[in-house]
Amino acid sequence: MNGPDLRSRPIIEVKNVRKEYPIGDETVVALKRINLNVSRGEICCIFGTSGSGKSTLLNQLAGMEKPTRGEVRIGGVPISRLNENQLAAFRQQHLGFVFQSYNLLPNLTATENVALPLMFRGVPKAQREAAARKLLTRVGLSHRLDHFPWQMSGGQQQRAGIARAFIARPDVVFADEPTGNLDSKTTVEIMDMICTFARDYHQTIILVTHDPEMAAYAHRIVTLIDGEIVRNEINQKERPPHEA
Amino acid sequence: MKRKDMLRICLQNLMRRKSRTFLTVLGVLIGCCSIVIMVSLGIGMKEAQERTLSQMGDLTIITVNAPQGGRGKVKLDDPLLRRIRGIPGVEALTPKQGLEADSISLIAGAGRRYVADWTSVVGVDTNALEQVGYRLVEGTLPKREGEVLIGQYLAYSFKDTLRPEGRNMIDRWSAEFDDSGKPVDPPPPYFDPLKGQLTMVVETQNGKVTIPLTPVGVVKEDYSKGSETSEGLLFNMPDLQKLMEKVQGKKGRKPAYESVMVKVKGIEQVEPVEQEIKTMGYPTESMESIRKPMEKEARQKQLMLGGLGAISLFVAALGITNTMIMSISERTREIGIMKSLGCYVSDIRIMFLSEAGAIGLIGGLIGCVISFGAMIAINLVSLGPSLENVIPAIVGGESVTRVSIIPPWLLLFAILFSVLIGLGSGYYPANKAVRIPALEAIKSE
Repeated sequence: MNGPDLRSRPIIEVKNVRKEYPIGDETVVALKRINLNVSRGEICCIFGTSGSGKSTLLNQLAGMEKPTRGEVRIGGVPISRLNENQLAAFRQQHLGFVFQSYNLLPNLTATENVALPLMFRGVPKAQREAAARKLLTRVGLSHRLDHFPWQMSGGQQQRAGIARAFIARPDVVFADEPTGNLDSKTTVEIMDMICTFARDYHQTIILVTHDPEMAAYAHRIVTLIDGEIVRNEINQKERPPHEA
Repeated sequence: MKRKDMLRICLQNLMRRKSRTFLTVLGVLIGCCSIVIMVSLGIGMKEAQERTLSQMGDLTIITVNAPQGGRGKVKLDDPLLRRIRGIPGVEALTPKQGLEADSISLIAGAGRRYVADWTSVVGVDTNALEQVGYRLVEGTLPKREGEVLIGQYLAYSFKDTLRPEGRNMIDRWSAEFDDSGKPVDPPPPYFDPLKGQLTMVVETQNGKVTIPLTPVGVVKEDYSKGSETSEGLLFNMPDLQKLMEKVQGKKGRKPAYESVMVKVKGIEQVEPVEQEIKTMGYPTESMESIRKPMEKEARQKQLMLGGLGAISLFVAALGITNTMIMSISERTREIGIMKSLGCYVSDIRIMFLSEAGAIGLIGGLIGCVISFGAMIAINLVSLGPSLENVIPAIVGGESVTRVSIIPPWLLLFAILFSVLIGLGSGYYPANKAVRIPALEAIKSE
């Protein structure tokens, strides 16, 4: 029921994106000419080996870097042309991130970490931390609310990371190898959780991975080789998420 | 981001690296202390100088003298007094005129028992007397003709004619000391001149004038004013002029004075007022010519001391910059994460600036407390370490010369300066932090 919304305008539109890096006197072309549309509510997997350009593509999509040529629009907004402040405001409102190495701030507790995006928005402490506790309970960390990152296992940290990515109800969540540092059992838990959230709130997930197992969770699999999309296919054998 | 959250994050970050924060704060603290203590010593020095000067004479009094060979137009007369009174900054003035005679003697007591062979007589404007620095220790100002003020120790210049010659006067300078080495007060004079009449006999080549006088007040002895405050008489000016006419037999002459004492409102007015009177063509005297070079010297010393202090605060500023740069390079990833989660660039800048500013503020506050303690300690050492000296060491007092003085503005200035130093030295690191891209969050270690 809450599948990808294929009829209306795509939430992510990538048009002719090219990215070059100058390395010494030479120029390395990381992305050649990328065209991609992702629909609202879609779980899109960007799949490729290391060096394929998948991380570079993620950086362009998330507005971390500006493409050398071409344009990225999210919800119609040309994020590749926003300045730093507009970008910060846009991230607050529309984007969430799940990182490979969790990236929780070490001096903040789990609750404070999850509440961070709301703090940047200016939500009062009591309100944002109540929301954070609720979400942490939902990801199964009700016993770790006031723990610091170093007191938690990798799986627990990543659950807190997921709670942080979803707390502001973003339109798009970028997940960069979210299970890269986790064992296979935890990987399943984490992926289920991401997919469940996305489905419940009709959010779009961009999942970057080199692991074919992970790609199985996606609605669409985009395969990158040497900076080019070689395949862009709807996943026929989509694996239904387990209940988280 | 809310200010409150910003403050919380900033304090959290400072608490994270306690020892580093502590050492950086220590640097600021030492810098702040050295500035405050150095400047306080300078202020103490200046105050001690001014105290010394004011013992030599009132700093805000200008004495105008009659021009040498003043036969011409420039005379110290009433029109001139009016002109001087009109100069802005002049608070009060009095002309001063001594009585010239071959001999002036005083007789007092029942049966002309007490006789003073010599005294000095001066006429002043008794209404302006207290303003130009004379102090009454007893009695009131003269109101009627025949009423005069007497010098504080006039009574000691009388001899008792009923006692044998050689032992009929009390020498108030006969220095006797008690067992502990302190000088003993001289015995009281034979009588109290305020409680009776005086008869003054003035002799000149024109003859002899005898007039009765009623002493109504006693003027405090003041060497900078003249001997009349010790063992003389002070007349109201019109009284003296009448007396002079009688004594010298000259009538109808416009009065001219020996000198005029001008009191100005504050030390700053001394120079301009004195300058203006000088341009009128009158020689003047004031403590300004002594005070100015001393003040200049004190200011130079103060600058030198303050400069030494400032150097250490500057070194502390380098410490803050260093600490902030270290902490930013450690937190590169964190800054990237915060940016990727939507933290505004300006918030990141404020975060780092307030961290640096907080180091300055904490250092400044503690530095001020310690400097204040140091001030008390320094003053206690110089005043003598006893319990009753604690209060004078802190607030000073009429007769207390403190070595170190910290006025409230100095504390305020020190704290402000420390915060500014903190902000200034955090500026570069904060800009560095702001330039860290969100991409840093994704880079693997």
